[in-house]
Amino acid sequence: MVLEATMICIDNSEWMRNGDYSPSRFQAQSDAVNLICGAKTQSNPENTVGVLTMAGKGLRVLVTPTSDLGKILACMHGLEIGGDMNLAAGIQVAQLALKHRQNKKQQQRIIVFSGSPIKHEKKLLEMIGRKLKKNSVALDIVNFGEEDDGKTEKLEALLTAVNNNDTSHIVHVPAGPSALSDVLISTPIFTGDGEGGSGFAAAAAAAAAGGLSGFEFGVDPNLDPELALALRVSMEEERARQEAAAKKAADEAAKQEKGEGQPSGSQDAAMTENVNTATSEADNKANDLMDDENALLQQALAMSMDDPASSHEARDTDMSDSVADDPELALALQLSVQDSTKDVSSQSDMSKLLADQSFVSSILSSLPGVDPNDQSVKDLLASMQSQSEPQQKDEEKEPKEEEKK
Amino acid sequence: MACLHDHSCEDHDCSADWSLYKHIDISKVTALNEAVPGSVKSVFKAWEQRLSSSEEHLESNEGDPELLVFIPFTSDVKIKSISIVGGAGGTSPSKMRAFINRDGIDFSDAQSMQAIQEWDLAENLQGVLEYQTRYSKFQSVASITLHFPENFGGDTTQIQYIGLKGEATQLRRDVVATIVYELMPNPSDHKAQAEGGGGLSHVE
Repeated sequence: MVLEATMICIDNSEWMRNGDYSPSRFQAQSDAVNLICGAKTQSNPENTVGVLTMAGKGLRVLVTPTSDLGKILACMHGLEIGGDMNLAAGIQVAQLALKHRQNKKQQQRIIVFSGSPIKHEKKLLEMIGRKLKKNSVALDIVNFGEEDDGKTEKLEALLTAVNNNDTSHIVHVPAGPSALSDVLISTPIFTGDGEGGSGFAAAAAAAAAGGLSGFEFGVDPNLDPELALALRVSMEEERARQEAAAKKAADEAAKQEKGEGQPSGSQDAAMTENVNTATSEADNKANDLMDDENALLQQALAMSMDDPASSHEARDTDMSDSVADDPELALALQLSVQDSTKDVSSQSDMSKLLADQSFVSSILSSLPGVDPNDQSVKDLLASMQSQSEPQQKDEEKEPKEEEKK
Repeated sequence: MACLHDHSCEDHDCSADWSLYKHIDISKVTALNEAVPGSVKSVFKAWEQRLSSSEEHLESNEGDPELLVFIPFTSDVKIKSISIVGGAGGTSPSKMRAFINRDGIDFSDAQSMQAIQEWDLAENLQGVLEYQTRYSKFQSVASITLHFPENFGGDTTQIQYIGLKGEATQLRRDVVATIVYELMPNPSDHKAQAEGGGGLSHVE
């Protein structure tokens, strides 16, 4: 969560009319800018972002560094395309705007979108880069659009001149099916300098990577930042526990070879199948959703059962492609009800159990007011068997809502 | 000439004088144009260690000898003199300019602003030279910014030690925390004066 003041330099020259990035280069650029502004303001509430256009009638600072996201997004409307981009002047004006930032404690950063050919000499760019480095201004370059002969070389030279300890980055985005914003999301421009970035950035990254339409955890960080933060933190904690438990599991696997317990073995198999119904990511999301909503349920389960590191083992070992059949599930339930001698890592293990929707539905059926024959629950089971992620996520919400009622 | 004392000066006598480094807010010390970010913190140490070159020193970027060091203090200090130990081979700084109580100075500001005092430095590899300040101007210093524009011809500028001699007051030069603006005077806010009959007419 670095405290940063950022100036974004937009290329609105004639070259931006081209449609090789859908819908047009300019639109793709605007989307990327909007996402960046959101990510920066999310990662630290005191971050400020400003925007300037490099082409058009002339260089124009649209908004000076501010933390008001609405103002920034508003100024992106009604931008006109035209003219020629002036990269050197753009960077220098951005540097000046940052110099006059209100909070001198903020680190300075410039993000440049370069889509049209560069007419400046390499030497000039290197000089500008050195000046930026001297004043400890970081520079991120997004190289898209026109692929000129010397363009990439000039931009790389600029980057080496500016780069101080890897705080500056360059991203080359070729034209293709994926949107500019999607490509940028996974780059250090979004995620910060390897710190792990903000919840927003991580959410967007996960969404893009997993092909999901919504945010991570199904919660919009803008609407409910505390919940999103809580979910993210619990997921990270869980990951840490998983790793710890994985080590335990490795030890236990050694014990298992000595034939510690047949029931444990079959329990493993059953849990393997149960766990297999979703990827670990979706599972974690489900876990967190469930965790938040069914805290009491978890406690009750924790007391009555223990499922051990077997679920972690399942993750570590190759998961077999199998469908969770009910009889095997019932066996698993029985076995887990019996006291196992294995270590319990409690909460996270409960989460693994809860992740299995069929298991949850059996629990739900024992709860008053919830009908397991309900269409939504059935849809859920069907979708789980077909291992479709997005559907599952949506439908996980439904049984949750059902339960609330 | 270690110090201007007439007795043979032992280190421990002098080191007590150069103890202002203890009042520096080390975490907030920054430098511009340093080759290794954060290396500036290593130049503030005890007098005895001023020559130890084992630790890292402050070095500017290749081909650019300018350095700007921002030093905030934990309380207001009075600075009597400054000592700079540079590097060998022409990398010692040759000029020093100081700015008081201003933060966020960068190179263009430093070049255009009038410094509170400027010195011509000599190569001081043994750390025996000190540069006196115009003490009256350095009475309540919350932060000092040192600008080293030139060196003795080296490619980079190296600084191994910056020593400050003076005394620390316990005062803090805080920014005004809350300001209340009155559009219209409200007598109830000024009860003390009203009771004392300070000439305010009673407003119903």
